[in-house]
Amino acid sequence: MSAARSHRVLITIVLLLISPLTLAFTLDDLQKQLSEPAVVSGPFIQEKHLRALPQPLTSKGRFVLARDHGLLWLLQSPLRQDYRIDAQGIARRDPSGWQALPARSAGAEQNRLFFAVLQGDSSGLQRDFELALSGDAAHWQLRLTPRSLLLKQVFTRIDITGGRYVERIELSETQGDSTVLRMPESRGASALSDAERSDFAD
Amino acid sequence: MPTERLLPRLFAGLLLIMLAVAGWQWHRGAPLSADLMTLVPGATQDPLVKQAEQRMQEPLNRELLVLVGHSQREQAVALAQRLAGRWQASGLFEKVQWSLQTDLQALRSQLLQGRVAMLSTHDRQLLAEQPDAFVEQRLQSLFDPFAGFSLVASQDDWLGLTGRIQQSQPKPVNVQLDTASGALVAEADGQQWVLLRARTLGNAFDMHLPLQVADLLARARDDAGQQGARLLAASGLLHAAAGQQQASREITWVGGGATAGILLLLLLAFRRWRVLLAFVPVLVGMLFGSVVCVALFGQMHVMTLVLGSSLIGVAVDYPLHYLSKSWSLQPWRSWPAVRLTLPGLSLSLATSCIGYLALAFTPFPALTQIAAFSAAGLVGAYLSAVCLLPALLGNVELRPAQWPLRVAQWLTELRVGLLRRVPSAVLLALLVLFCAAGLWRLDSHNDVRQWVGSPPHLLEEAQAVARITGYQPTSQFYLVRGADPQQLLERLAALSEKLDELVDLGKLKGYMSLDRLVASPVEQTRTLQALDRLPGHWQALLAQGVPQTALLAELKQLHQLPIQSIDEVLAGPLGEAWRPLWLGQVDQGVAAIVSLQGLNDTALLRLQSEGLPGVQLVDRLGELNQLFAATQVSAAELKLLSCVLILVLLVLPFGLRGALRIVALPLLAALCSLALLGWLGQPLTLFSLFGLLLVTAIGVDYAILMHERVGGEAVSLLGTLLAALTTWLSFGLLALSSTPAVSNFGLAVSLGLAMSFILAPWAASREGAHS
Repeated sequence: MSAARSHRVLITIVLLLISPLTLAFTLDDLQKQLSEPAVVSGPFIQEKHLRALPQPLTSKGRFVLARDHGLLWLLQSPLRQDYRIDAQGIARRDPSGWQALPARSAGAEQNRLFFAVLQGDSSGLQRDFELALSGDAAHWQLRLTPRSLLLKQVFTRIDITGGRYVERIELSETQGDSTVLRMPESRGASALSDAERSDFAD
Repeated sequence: MPTERLLPRLFAGLLLIMLAVAGWQWHRGAPLSADLMTLVPGATQDPLVKQAEQRMQEPLNRELLVLVGHSQREQAVALAQRLAGRWQASGLFEKVQWSLQTDLQALRSQLLQGRVAMLSTHDRQLLAEQPDAFVEQRLQSLFDPFAGFSLVASQDDWLGLTGRIQQSQPKPVNVQLDTASGALVAEADGQQWVLLRARTLGNAFDMHLPLQVADLLARARDDAGQQGARLLAASGLLHAAAGQQQASREITWVGGGATAGILLLLLLAFRRWRVLLAFVPVLVGMLFGSVVCVALFGQMHVMTLVLGSSLIGVAVDYPLHYLSKSWSLQPWRSWPAVRLTLPGLSLSLATSCIGYLALAFTPFPALTQIAAFSAAGLVGAYLSAVCLLPALLGNVELRPAQWPLRVAQWLTELRVGLLRRVPSAVLLALLVLFCAAGLWRLDSHNDVRQWVGSPPHLLEEAQAVARITGYQPTSQFYLVRGADPQQLLERLAALSEKLDELVDLGKLKGYMSLDRLVASPVEQTRTLQALDRLPGHWQALLAQGVPQTALLAELKQLHQLPIQSIDEVLAGPLGEAWRPLWLGQVDQGVAAIVSLQGLNDTALLRLQSEGLPGVQLVDRLGELNQLFAATQVSAAELKLLSCVLILVLLVLPFGLRGALRIVALPLLAALCSLALLGWLGQPLTLFSLFGLLLVTAIGVDYAILMHERVGGEAVSLLGTLLAALTTWLSFGLLALSSTPAVSNFGLAVSLGLAMSFILAPWAASREGAHS
């Protein structure tokens, strides 16, 4: 479940940062608050809590989310690996440059969802999940419950909390495992750095 | 006369029996068939190839693939859902599927069970040859956020075998899963296309189903149109429906047109309502034809009916033979007229039957059926014309119109005038020149597609569906045999390797072969041995906190998995798409099909599989086209043979010289017909050749009439003219058919018959011509 889980996480982050959610006014506010900066970046820590392991599997790295370009996911430990999601799909970097990953039906669908939302199509998220928001602008919680039979067989729910930016995402799997993704020090910026720009460029 | 009372009664008895048989044959619905494949020769006697062909054909004849397109995905999904509900309720379908409600639990358990058996060739190689890379990749995938769905939790599969199996499964080319609805969606032309698949209860050869399905689809189209959506559909059923509609339309035209024309001709020429009874032999002929056809073949193909409707024009010739004697025989009485023409009638029946039955010896079941239908029909028409009709016309005194005779006289004089200026020999030379030039221009062209007159809009739609979904099945496939599953899977693997080369070259879009789903027992054992070597390489996993006990427990568990058979893997949800490929236990071992996608070079395919043991390329279309060309030669031989038979038959009444003369003319007419096809730029097909077989047989009839000259040259010519007109009417209408095969046949026969009529006067012996 690991990959799907983290994949969902990322999409969810993006959705929350930029999607014009059209539920109650609070969701509208949240959307405005999150989509204000053109670029959000910071470190992430991903913990996989598996029933069979006393310790979670932990990985760390940095992410860059650019409203107009896509997402860079730079894994730094325990191994170094760069990923990029943009309109072309998912790519992984090897010594010779970005290599597009073969589109898979489920992955491609999520990708499509991701960019539908990026382009302002709010219906996508609500078709997949029921959204429930509580709290205020400084401390809010959003719970996503899957609607479709397919997703229900994978997730129980997704909980997201944050303030100015998204801070914590927890995915609970139907089978009892969970993944926690923390982004404790996210920062907003009005433009990409040169290095980041070149990462998106080719 | 006792015979004149006895014959009608005997015949009435026979007619009653035939009617009773027909009633019994039809009481459970029309014994009609529209299956195109029953028309073409069974290219193979091998029952396994036949079984494989049926397996590959089945989805074409039972499945309907529909794309519901709308610019908004939700709209398209909602529409597809509604449509599926309505179709399911229609009772025509076994299954209507618009969404993929996969049972993930079943999928998970199959993946876990198949961890060793279903590992792909590539992954097996990696595991055996580069175990370090194998572990490294596993580690990466544990932290890869974008690896896509992995259905099995990490702790149940630390080595990541299920993820690899999942990723090695064939992916739909352009189709994506809409996670919200479970629908399969393709994007093209700015539209969202939702895929809907329906499987019918019956198949395309059911006489009613295709029309019902086409009707349902038409209504769905209207409905979709009102909501700004579009439907695209592809199915063999739609072709069958179009074929049936076309056939019934053409039977109506040809049959109706010929009937109306002949009745009008009879009325105009003989000016008596009662003379319309001359149509009785036609009806009796149709009855006999269909009864015999169903009795012999169990059913009648619609194409037989279309071609058989041309029999109307031939059958009506029998009564015309003696009716036309009324111009010379006054007062005309039915029985004496029949007695006078009986020898000619019988000869005519014999020669026509020889011509039609020659068709029966071609390797085409379609023509065998038509031959049986026609020969039986002619016998029925002859019997009723000789036994029954004279009694029905018992007290009729015919006083035919004089204008047809004047036309015939004028034609005779025209010919005499021509011959006075240009001698026959010169005319013959000119004709030979004309033929030679025409033949030189003639092109031969054969293709099985001539059998189907599929409307272009159906083909365009099927192409659009193939383009949007990326699903392009081809009619060619491989049949692979092996002594046991082990050998079969090895042979499949050898073939797959060759096919991969074609895929890499872009000559083939893809293929499905069972060796890509399940490894052979020997390979499964090898995989286990490679797994046993992993503990020397999995240090990196331990370093990330994966407990060694868990890894060792997993290895032990993998050893406990039983070796999986093809049947076991196919039984699971991942096996669904592969099931049609497995033929299972056959006579001497096991066999499987390898299906192909998006092929553009058959020759390359043949080359690629050359020398592979147990591998056979089945290319039915290609074989049929070759067979068509080969049959042209045998058709020509049959033609000569039938001429010899007719010649032998005619030697008795006419002597060798007369018989030669009578047979030479229709042969020359057939030659002219060939030349005319050349001049018209029409290709020579197998069907035009078959048509020419008939020309000889029917044309002989005209030559006999002109040779005998009962009642003078003009009267004979008139009789010939009437016979030719009616026959020409029915075959000429066939030429208008939109099925190339039927139209070709009709054209060849009508051209040939026209030439037969023009040449017929030369059948009179020279002495006769001078007297």
